[in-house]
Amino acid sequence: MRIARILAGLAILALLVSGPARAETTLTYSWTANVGPLNPHAYAPNEMFGQAMVYEPLVKYHADGTVAPWLATGWTVSGDGHVYTFTLRRDVKFSDGTVFDAAAVKANFDTVLASRERHNWLELANQIRRTEALDASTFRLTLKEAYYPVLRELALIRPFRFISPPAIPAEGTADKIIAPIGTGPWKLAETRLGEYDLFVRNETYWGPKPVFDQILVKVIPDPNSRAVAFETGDIDLIYGAGQISPDVFARFQAMYPNKTAVSQPLTTEMVALNTNRAPTNDLFVRKAINHAVDKDGIVDSVLYGTQKRAAALFAPNFPYADVGLHPYIYDPAKAEALLDEAGWRRIDGEAIRAKEGVKLRIELCYVGNNAQQKAIAEVIQANLRKIGIDVMLVGEESNAFETRQREGEFGMIFGETWGAPYDPHSFISSMRVPSHADYQAQLGLPLKGELDAKIGEVLVTVDETKRRRLYRDILTALHEEAVYLPLTYSTAPLVAGPKLGAVGFGPSVSEIPFETYPPAN
Amino acid sequence: MLRFIAGRLALIPLMLLGVSGVVFAMLRLGRGDPALDYLRLSQIPPTDAAIAKARALLGLDRPLVEQYLSWLWDAVRLDFGVSYATRRPVLDEFLYYLPATLQLAAVALLVTLAVSVPLGIWAARHPDKPPDQIVRGIAFIGVSMPNFWLGFLLVMVFSVWLGLLPPLGKGGIEHMLMPVLAVSLMSLSINARMLRTSMLEAGGQRHVLYARLRGLSDRNVTRHHILRNALLPIVTATGMHIGELIGGTLVVENIFGWPGLGRYAVSAIYNRDFPVLQCFVLLMTLIFVLCNLIIDILYAWLDPRIRMFAEGQR
Repeated sequence: MRIARILAGLAILALLVSGPARAETTLTYSWTANVGPLNPHAYAPNEMFGQAMVYEPLVKYHADGTVAPWLATGWTVSGDGHVYTFTLRRDVKFSDGTVFDAAAVKANFDTVLASRERHNWLELANQIRRTEALDASTFRLTLKEAYYPVLRELALIRPFRFISPPAIPAEGTADKIIAPIGTGPWKLAETRLGEYDLFVRNETYWGPKPVFDQILVKVIPDPNSRAVAFETGDIDLIYGAGQISPDVFARFQAMYPNKTAVSQPLTTEMVALNTNRAPTNDLFVRKAINHAVDKDGIVDSVLYGTQKRAAALFAPNFPYADVGLHPYIYDPAKAEALLDEAGWRRIDGEAIRAKEGVKLRIELCYVGNNAQQKAIAEVIQANLRKIGIDVMLVGEESNAFETRQREGEFGMIFGETWGAPYDPHSFISSMRVPSHADYQAQLGLPLKGELDAKIGEVLVTVDETKRRRLYRDILTALHEEAVYLPLTYSTAPLVAGPKLGAVGFGPSVSEIPFETYPPAN
Repeated sequence: MLRFIAGRLALIPLMLLGVSGVVFAMLRLGRGDPALDYLRLSQIPPTDAAIAKARALLGLDRPLVEQYLSWLWDAVRLDFGVSYATRRPVLDEFLYYLPATLQLAAVALLVTLAVSVPLGIWAARHPDKPPDQIVRGIAFIGVSMPNFWLGFLLVMVFSVWLGLLPPLGKGGIEHMLMPVLAVSLMSLSINARMLRTSMLEAGGQRHVLYARLRGLSDRNVTRHHILRNALLPIVTATGMHIGELIGGTLVVENIFGWPGLGRYAVSAIYNRDFPVLQCFVLLMTLIFVLCNLIIDILYAWLDPRIRMFAEGQR
């Protein structure tokens, strides 16, 4: 076996050395739109997966939640957590030949911070006080506070990645760039609007070189067309949430059993229960709801088994999230007992319970044209009706729905966490912001003030043990108060065509590790 | 004739002004905030501050009337603003995608005419015989079947099952076959049936009987005395088909991944991309109006009675 592998390796090497005789190898992927101008410091219409192909961070986020050296080989943190000093790799060049050094890093940070208000949704943008290039390979970042998620936010796809300084216009990168020149394994070679984007291998890449010569990204907005294109061999790869519908993925799983995969949990789909409104202000009602919804039923019937049942707000594979919570198990009898105990009773054999003349009725808000949410909402409605709760479904257009989230106009409302690398710290941080469904849902908790204080503390403490304890407190409180009805851990599908060898997932939602993908033998 | 054309042309700006006002109002009356869509596309968490910033960036924080007037002022000078989603000038993108759509619609129009006229003649020459029944059957299916569904069926049969044609993209003739068929089948069916009816009508008239009595060949009679007279309704119908074909193209482009205006507009609807939608509706209105004008002129040119009437009114 090993000999065969070595021989295969030598054969590939021989092919590589033989050069021109070899045909170009192209991996064809598809996306809903063109990747945009690929400005590393801007948002829409720049597509994140494309930015991640061309630009690289100082430190890299790994699937296990840790952060490892990348363009920086190492770093030191001052005792008070305010100063980060990075040592940079010395063998890195941008694809235009410009040397990647501390001056380039500083130039990028400075142009990002010149339009700081665009990036201040990210706490790190607010926290940076000073940037310094100490020598060619030493870069120093000084913060206002000891904000612990610095490294994780530096690992994000945007805005703290690096474009070649000659490609930065005199007025900065806020509105445009001169050319998309990065240090990454791929270069953007051609864009045809509405048709495709073509990436070619960066031959001067410092790391392990990609095996494919080219990545062709076709523009296909429609998931059904994408499925067809895969079946006819027009694309080689389906990767990512929303690329195809769950039923199509289930069909592909049956058709190509060895060519499909499901990612680690990326986000949690949940329903927030409003603690500030009757009747969900009653802890017994919230707990009863958690015991009464048949999540396995939802996964099997609506999601074709493509997602995983959720036990808590964050999946245990997220940092600080594995705190040993006891999931609310599916047990309608227990749910009924809880409601009885709280005084919600069925009077004269009525289907819906009531207490002091008020019926047990809750609104569940969802996005009207989201077929999946609607189907899940209907299962929840049926499940809760069995234990005597009348659920009114309110399907609205997505903007109206978001307005309800922001203003707390809901009894129960669908939501999802933000995924790696934002979970849990950015998501928890947003729970303190009034315009979030989470804030609104938690407003009725007697301990809301205390909770917010702990969230503020966990983000700036430099003491790892204390940070763990605070996360445990916060997540346990939210779980025991049953503020959420966690439904599923959403995963992304992957389907690889016959041209591809063994392929895997990237560490975050939008990072597709094309450079590691081998062609089939 | 010239006065007729000039009069019609003079009405166009007024019409566009009306359309622009209605579209502007309709887009904004709907519940929904493009700023939220912008943040969703950017994957920025929608905090209050972020929404306010996005609204300012997109110019949505100004009063509605001011927004409309400034948009109108720019539009008059052919500046339709910048797309919220792609941050590129709308007119540039519109003109970039327009040729692909026109290409598809034009080929579909040619196919419609090239196929429907022979079919109509064939059916009219054998009324209620098998040829007529075959054409009736095709027309029945063609009129009843929505074009997007036909598109998916074609893809399933010719791309997935038989592997003969590419399912999407733009390229050679093989890329056009299925979209063109999907777009043109309905117009083609209507046209064939209409030509059959009007030919049978014309065939029963006295001048045709007289021509036959004169001993002219069947072919000659059909060509010069029936078809010529029967074609007028087809010209009118073609004017309507142009609208239908362009409309159909917009739908079908999404299925076949055709890089045209339809796909551009549909994405804009999803993203609440107001500048794109405003420009799109306005320019499509202009195209329709111009097409209809051309048809009217053609009509007058073909039928002396109409031409005389128009000139007699002077």
